[in-house]
Amino acid sequence: MLNKTILLFGYGNHGRFIAKGLFDDGFIVKVVESNETFYHEALEDGHQDTVMIDVTKDEALQALHPETYTKLVCVMDDEHLNVFLTLSLRSLFKESYILSISDSIHTTQKLQMAGANKVIDLYEVSANKIHNILNRPIATQLLEEFVVHKNSIGFKEMVVPEGSFLESIMTDDIDFSPFGVLLVGMIDEELGHSFIFITAGVNHKIDFGDTIVCIGENDKLDLFEILIKNKEIPTDA
Amino acid sequence: MKQIFLSIALTLHASKSYKKTKDFIRDILNNSNNPYKKYVDITIIFLIVTSVVILIYEVKNPVPEWLDIYDIYFVSFVFSIEYLLRLWVHNNLTDLVVKEHKEATFLGREFSPSSVLKEGFAEKVKYMLTPTALIDLLAIFPAYRPLRVLRIFVLFRVLKLLRYTKSINQFTEVLSNKKFELLTLLFLLFFIVMTAGIAIYVLEERLNPNIESLFDALYWALVTISTVGYGDISPVTTEGRTISVLVIISGIAMISFATSVIVSAFSEKLSELKENRIIEQVNKSKSFLLVCGYGQMTKMFFRQSETHMDNYIILENSLERVEQARKDGYEAIHEDASRYHTLNKFNTEHSQITILCLTGSDVENIYITLNAKSISSKIKVIARASNSSMISKFEHAGADHILLPNMVANTMIHTAITQPTMYKAIHAILTGKSIARIDEIRAYECESIIGKSIRDLSFKRNKLLFIGIHREGEFMFNPSLEEVVKPHDILLVMGRQISLNYFKRNHGWRD
Repeated sequence: MLNKTILLFGYGNHGRFIAKGLFDDGFIVKVVESNETFYHEALEDGHQDTVMIDVTKDEALQALHPETYTKLVCVMDDEHLNVFLTLSLRSLFKESYILSISDSIHTTQKLQMAGANKVIDLYEVSANKIHNILNRPIATQLLEEFVVHKNSIGFKEMVVPEGSFLESIMTDDIDFSPFGVLLVGMIDEELGHSFIFITAGVNHKIDFGDTIVCIGENDKLDLFEILIKNKEIPTDA
Repeated sequence: MKQIFLSIALTLHASKSYKKTKDFIRDILNNSNNPYKKYVDITIIFLIVTSVVILIYEVKNPVPEWLDIYDIYFVSFVFSIEYLLRLWVHNNLTDLVVKEHKEATFLGREFSPSSVLKEGFAEKVKYMLTPTALIDLLAIFPAYRPLRVLRIFVLFRVLKLLRYTKSINQFTEVLSNKKFELLTLLFLLFFIVMTAGIAIYVLEERLNPNIESLFDALYWALVTISTVGYGDISPVTTEGRTISVLVIISGIAMISFATSVIVSAFSEKLSELKENRIIEQVNKSKSFLLVCGYGQMTKMFFRQSETHMDNYIILENSLERVEQARKDGYEAIHEDASRYHTLNKFNTEHSQITILCLTGSDVENIYITLNAKSISSKIKVIARASNSSMISKFEHAGADHILLPNMVANTMIHTAITQPTMYKAIHAILTGKSIARIDEIRAYECESIIGKSIRDLSFKRNKLLFIGIHREGEFMFNPSLEEVVKPHDILLVMGRQISLNYFKRNHGWRD
């Protein structure tokens, strides 16, 4: 449970949806607000672990012990405050992972300069989506269903266990389709934790500890995660 | 006789092919948005130009007989056909007769086609008397060369070019807005020329050997007031020279006045002319985008375009933002997309139009959506909404896709938190980055894949990951290798852009 703790700054336009999504996925979320209305709304929505502080005060931030949380998410509605908060958190907690949202093209760069590890630019992702709708409408719709709605098909990452039948197999020789799943890519630990797509045209050897990412029907993905623990290729696939 | 009229009218009225042919000819002759009109225009322009060139060539050289036949018979024949077709499609006599028949039957009175036919023919005569129709008619006659004066007919062929030259049409249109000023000027010119002409005639008719008639005097007055001053006629008396001075001064004043009227007419209409030119240009495309609003979303949309976009126009309410868009290098016009006449200017009949409602206001975006759908249900609308409570409103308005920027961003944040290692992969797939693009292969665009099995298509050899088939609204994930591709299937594959393009091109796809 320790790696599922999130300190969420802001319960406005974005915060409330993110908090709900994380809560549904079993994350422990502590909501921090400086706006009294939003603070009460968070409490009304059932987020009991909500505090109201002045986020411009370093002492108030330190009192939250952000270093004990896996991720700090800055999604305050006031973009100036959001940049200031990101900067304050980075200067106070050098090792923390900070994720921020940008509500304008110019803020993205400021947030990156302020020290955010990841900045989600609202306009960038939305404009991308428009291009996708225009150029590949069916693929966009399906992909959205895979990633967002997870109705029946989704993505799953699985760590290759020691002694798995996948060990030492080359990615070019792999065909998971008989198991009802498809290999999308893998994270090769030998190559410095970088994600490699199966379609990149590079043949990789799978080692234990590598993470493979598959797409498939959710129940088949769950079953496959169990099957890869076997030493031999399951014959009943 | 009445019955013959009626039966002909009823037959033609009921004939779909007659109506279709007439509509097609009307459209191809008059609708500048018709994609085939340019071929008609080019043909007519070619005939006019060749006809004029033949006449010029003939001034000093003998013309071969076949060129004579071409000019006198062929060109005239084509122009006659064009003239008759324009006259035919101008109005529908059959509709008038059928309407009269229905009214007569309903009221129980005698059917009398003569009155409506008179009305219909009067309408046709009215058309025949319009300047363009008169030019069309006179342009049919070839320039009869043996009689020098009949060579004037070639002038009508040149004038016929007016119909096909937009810039001249626009010039006359601009000037017609200053009709009052120009008419005042013309009247003043007429008054001064007449006064000065009569004065010089009275004063110098006996003293000046160059002034023999009133015509000479008026000719002198016009040449002087226009500041041309040929010098063939000049005053010889002090009184005459005094009149000359006054005429020259008023001439300078009038030229300045005329210039300022024309310049102000153009400066007032310049932006409108430019915008109309942009609209005409985009209307010629088979498909194009109308982007409503020039805010941050639109800026980001254009920044992310992988290739240079040609077929689009930005419609923006605020003049300041239009200027900004133009400075940024985009085609923008100052128009309100929520107004009917704005969207109606676009070629909804022959082009596939996609409207991006990207203004920051839900009210505005919904209004634009409704406006677009009320003009044509064929227009595809992608609308931006501020929050999920707006979705049902946009759906009711008829939007084809609804974009919720907040939702998209929230999803990405959620993915970045819950699936951190996969985030890059999913982000790359969602943003269509070149290493892992999920794309669709439409079977009808790659005809050679139709009828082949998934195994035959060897996706893996092409470094593509085959994910599934979208068939009749259903998605088949990872189907059997023996599954055969059908004509309306859409195949979902993942791979690098170059792999996808290579595969598609190998199967008959044209970029």
